[in-house]
Amino acid sequence: MRFYTFVLKNILRRRVRSALTVIGMAVAVGAVVALVGISRGFERSFLAIYQREKVDLIIQQRGVKQKLTSVLDAGLGKKIAEVPGVKTVNSGLVDFTSMDELGPVGVLVQGWEVDSPMMRHLNILTGGRPLEASDKNCLLLGERLALSLDKKVGDTLKVFDDATYTVRGIFKSNTVYENGGMVVPLADLQRFMGRRGQVSGFTVTVDQPDHKAEVERIRHAIEALGKNLEVTPTIDFVNSTQEIVFIRAMAWITSAVALVIGAVGMLNTMVMSVFERTREIGILRAIGWGRWRVIRMILMESMVLSLAGGAVGAAGAVLLTRVLSNQPAVSGMIDSYVAPDVIAQGFLIALCVGLLGAAYPAYRGAQLLPTEALRHE
Amino acid sequence: MNKPKHDPFLFRTEQLCKLYPDGQVHAVEDVNITVRRGEYVAIMGPSGSGKSTLLNLLGALDRPTSGEVYIDGMRLSKVRNVDRLRSRMLGFVFQSFHLLPILTAVENVQVPMFEGRLSASARIARAKELLDLVGLGHRIHHMPQKLSVGERQRVAIARALANEPIALLADEPTGNLDSVAAEGIFELFARLHREEGMTIVLITHDEELGRRAQRLVRMQDGHIKSDVFSARRRLRTPLPPFAV
Ligand SMILES: Nc1ncnc2c1ncn2[C@@H]1O[C@H](COP(=O)(O)OP(=O)(O)OP(=O)(O)O)[C@@H](O)[C@H]1O
Ligand SMILES: [Mg+2]
Repeated sequence: MRFYTFVLKNILRRRVRSALTVIGMAVAVGAVVALVGISRGFERSFLAIYQREKVDLIIQQRGVKQKLTSVLDAGLGKKIAEVPGVKTVNSGLVDFTSMDELGPVGVLVQGWEVDSPMMRHLNILTGGRPLEASDKNCLLLGERLALSLDKKVGDTLKVFDDATYTVRGIFKSNTVYENGGMVVPLADLQRFMGRRGQVSGFTVTVDQPDHKAEVERIRHAIEALGKNLEVTPTIDFVNSTQEIVFIRAMAWITSAVALVIGAVGMLNTMVMSVFERTREIGILRAIGWGRWRVIRMILMESMVLSLAGGAVGAAGAVLLTRVLSNQPAVSGMIDSYVAPDVIAQGFLIALCVGLLGAAYPAYRGAQLLPTEALRHE
Repeated sequence: MNKPKHDPFLFRTEQLCKLYPDGQVHAVEDVNITVRRGEYVAIMGPSGSGKSTLLNLLGALDRPTSGEVYIDGMRLSKVRNVDRLRSRMLGFVFQSFHLLPILTAVENVQVPMFEGRLSASARIARAKELLDLVGLGHRIHHMPQKLSVGERQRVAIARALANEPIALLADEPTGNLDSVAAEGIFELFARLHREEGMTIVLITHDEELGRRAQRLVRMQDGHIKSDVFSARRRLRTPLPPFAV
């Protein structure tokens, strides 16, 4: 018999104890991977909203860090388009509304001009079509929202308290916020929200986006159009948006809490399972084993158990995220993707904490005199 | 290691004391005892008289409160790696066997060999040999719980012999066995002593079995009350009967 065979037999033939240890580790690893994965998902979705359009500059009201509270005069769009070097100008109004079917969860509503390029670039699923100027009381639903509301193209639904709208199309976006939201004509949103002539902001593309000095010049030219204008390159904008800062902080805190809870759980599982073996350590010492062989055996065992726990936990977390993200209450808020580095991180923590948790009681047990260890119950 | 040239004794104690602090019990008090290589010693005495404590001290499983144990001339308190000494020189047999329940007989016997130099295949061969020696050659792949208690103790003895020790120390090896199985185990000890020249120190509560040893040490209240070399056995070994 080889030493590692002995270690494996120790694990495989003590099924109940090994299973309990693996489950304990798996729950902790799963919690870490799921929580970190979900909070990262929030952050990722939010970033994607801004990055999808590949816009170069974002124009908002000065001093307002939150897109939702920015208010600008819609007429500004024409002046911006006249700035030399500007290729396209899009305006939009973003707001939230609530729907009886969804309880207290707010739904993101984007108001777009029907002839805007954003409308044209929208990925409409078969059976539907983008909004047109001739449409009256029509809207587009994000894929997930359509699923939550159980609406198809051609169905009607009540929005903005009690206006009846017809679903013209269902679109798929790569951001969960949009997938869980809807698109209506800009004018409708302005009317229902009592925000006539207002937009949340403009997005601008330029002719030469790689020409830094040119982009800077356009930026200043646009800023000069009004006192209250803030023009930000997309990257800076995304990084300074209050939502992003907030969501990053949330993600960080959630992950940190998950890590602490997970690590304590793993430590507890491992320490208990090794402490239980003090007597066995006494026997092994009495029949001739040195301290280091005992410690080596236990570390090898806990390494296998930690990795098994990590695998089960990570798989469980991926499944859980998938199931949770399909629940109507959260649809549109969580995406089901767990990044590989989050999984790897879960494994690494399981391995480190598992070994650490095993090393302490193993070392303690091995330091005891064999008679003391044998007396242990 | 600090090994004097000609120490004739395998075990020697000097004013050996063990005091358990919780009860202020002198489990072993001022014990001076010597055991030569190849001797077969039985320790007897009432419960609580300190037999196990003495045996554990002799086998370096425990540390004395004061006094000294010498094994093969090496002063235990000065030996840096007691584990290695224990694994190379001593084999232990316990009343409740202490086999690993998850391993078969032949696997249990191999466990101490991880500290030796044998290859994996040589370990298996040696374990089989030892199980043959203790009369269990036909049960090598049995789990301990599938063996009778007498057979379990044989496996434990084979395991104690795994690293070719000089001495076997056994604490009531037949305490959990019926008289027939106990008889068999004592025959095995006698054979190991006679044929392999094994030094044996064992504890027993059975007068009849105890008398079969070459030498009978009686303990009471942590002291050695008597130490008698059996006349019957004297003829067989050329060693001096009393060693102080
Ligand atoms: N760990 C311990 N802590 C405190 N006292 C102990 C401990 N172990 C043994 N003793 C005490 O030391 C004395 C000697 O115990 P020991 O086990 O050596 O006796 P023994 O002769 O082997 O008895 P038995 O025949 O019952 O096995 C007893 O009074 C016992 O209560
Ligand atoms: Mg005893």
